[in-house]
Amino acid sequence: MKTRFRGASKYETAICAAISIFVFLCLWELAVRTTAVGLFISSPITVIGKTLRSIVEPLGTHTIQGHVLWSLSRVAVGFVVGSVAGVVVGVLMGWYRIFEAIVRPLFEVIRPIPPIAWIPLAILWFGLGESSKYFLIFLAVFSNVTMNAYSGARAVDQTLVGAAKMLGANNRQVFTSIVLPSCVPQIFAGLQIGLGSGWATVVAAEMVRSSEGVGWVITKGQDLNNPLQILVGIVGIGVIGYILAVLMRAIEAKLCVWSERGK
Amino acid sequence: MAVSDNMDREIKVKVDHMTKRFGDLLVLDDISFNVKKGEFLCIVGPTGCGKTTFLNCITKLYEPTSGEILLNNEPVNLKKHNVSYIFQEYSTMSWLTVEENIAFGLKMKKRPQEEINLAVAEMLEVVGLTDYKDYYPAELSTSMLQRVVIARAFATKPELLLMDEPYGQLDIDLRFKLEDELLKLWRATGTTVIFITHNIEEAVYLSENILILTNKPTSIKEYMKNELPWPRNVVSPEFVKVRNRVTELIKWW
Ligand SMILES: Nc1ncnc2c1ncn2[C@@H]1O[C@H](COP(=O)(O)OP(=O)(O)OP(=O)(O)O)[C@@H](O)[C@H]1O
Ligand SMILES: [Mg+2]
Repeated sequence: MKTRFRGASKYETAICAAISIFVFLCLWELAVRTTAVGLFISSPITVIGKTLRSIVEPLGTHTIQGHVLWSLSRVAVGFVVGSVAGVVVGVLMGWYRIFEAIVRPLFEVIRPIPPIAWIPLAILWFGLGESSKYFLIFLAVFSNVTMNAYSGARAVDQTLVGAAKMLGANNRQVFTSIVLPSCVPQIFAGLQIGLGSGWATVVAAEMVRSSEGVGWVITKGQDLNNPLQILVGIVGIGVIGYILAVLMRAIEAKLCVWSERGK
Repeated sequence: MAVSDNMDREIKVKVDHMTKRFGDLLVLDDISFNVKKGEFLCIVGPTGCGKTTFLNCITKLYEPTSGEILLNNEPVNLKKHNVSYIFQEYSTMSWLTVEENIAFGLKMKKRPQEEINLAVAEMLEVVGLTDYKDYYPAELSTSMLQRVVIARAFATKPELLLMDEPYGQLDIDLRFKLEDELLKLWRATGTTVIFITHNIEEAVYLSENILILTNKPTSIKEYMKNELPWPRNVVSPEFVKVRNRVTELIKWW
């Protein structure tokens, strides 16, 4: 009991990830060289080379990292607003029956609508500028975070609530000291999914209209009939999406030591 | 030391003709008894007879259907009275360390930080978890969790401590150890304890008085003084005699 429990070390996990990506790239390269796949898609070496080159040679008006930063800045705005709103609405809805009765029906109607279905309306309401993109990302993040925070707050252990009351907690203290911390793992799950779908949504939003961002890189590649540029955009989306997920997990591991160990 | 002659002690809890029904189900049927200040009372009774229900009535989780329960001669008020309740289920906060769990009640009551630190350090020492104070519940064994819960309850220096079969799921060694710890804490703090158990030996080992309940609809089968001297030895002939008497009474179920 004295030595703390640990899962696979960070080192092992990183090695496995590297191997699995490397093997995938090898298979891709092999397929391009030896089969007809090469007619439709460039080899990974070409794609990676082009991606690396685009760090110094701009695609359109920005280098690849410029595009990534544009997309990330849009996600950041939508993500922050969406997660704050999602946590508040979700936890209140899960804990207070009246709030649930009022808000849940509305939420349930809006939730199944995929964010991209809102694109036309978003453009009508907010124009073609940044606000409509923020709005779409907000929706993607908000519905995921709300849903998770909601189920977290509903699943709060009533025995703990009773124990806290017996130990002198008032209703406000029960909410802040029991309900909120109980939901943290679920909220993190929601933030993780929310960030992923926010990132996917920004790409979709940029494909509709923009003059920069990873979504633009792809649409422009299509306009220019340049599959290599499309692949560069896709690689950018994938790599950044992966980094975001890893970052979120790292933050969660830092903040939820207790539940991370329990898993 | 515990006083076995408690005639002149003031009454802490007065249960006065209390009846509790759930719809048509009559669970507690006109129950009356007193618990003196500083007393250690064990309640034994068959499964489902309403022991947990009784504790829930004391703490106002349920309202009695008729009759009442007085604490210090007034209706129970958890804002005013310092009552601790150890549930049948373990209930540690998984996101708090052992130390933070024990401090929880004192934090809720907004006690000064120095007082909290002192009380927590003392409790950690008594239940032998000082080395584990920074651990999270997920890293502890069942018996350690139960100690955290007990330390958390005692840290607030409750005037009344309710325990609902707290050791039901522990093996015998640990039970003995925790029972002794509990007696030590009880003596040190002078807390009034109502302790529910299925285990006759446990009841005879811990209690000053034993309340034996009947099957539903539940009434008091017998109120028994347990005057065995301390420290008690579970294999001594006197102990076995008392234990057999309680067992005898329970056979009537
Ligand atoms: N909230 C409730 N609503 C309806 N019936 C209840 C409720 N709580 C308890 N009961 C019933 O009251 C009876 C007594 O239950 P209680 O949990 O108090 O028994 P117990 O003596 O604690 O049993 P055990 O020894 O198994 O812990 C049971 O028949 C139970 O089904
Ligand atoms: Mg019970």
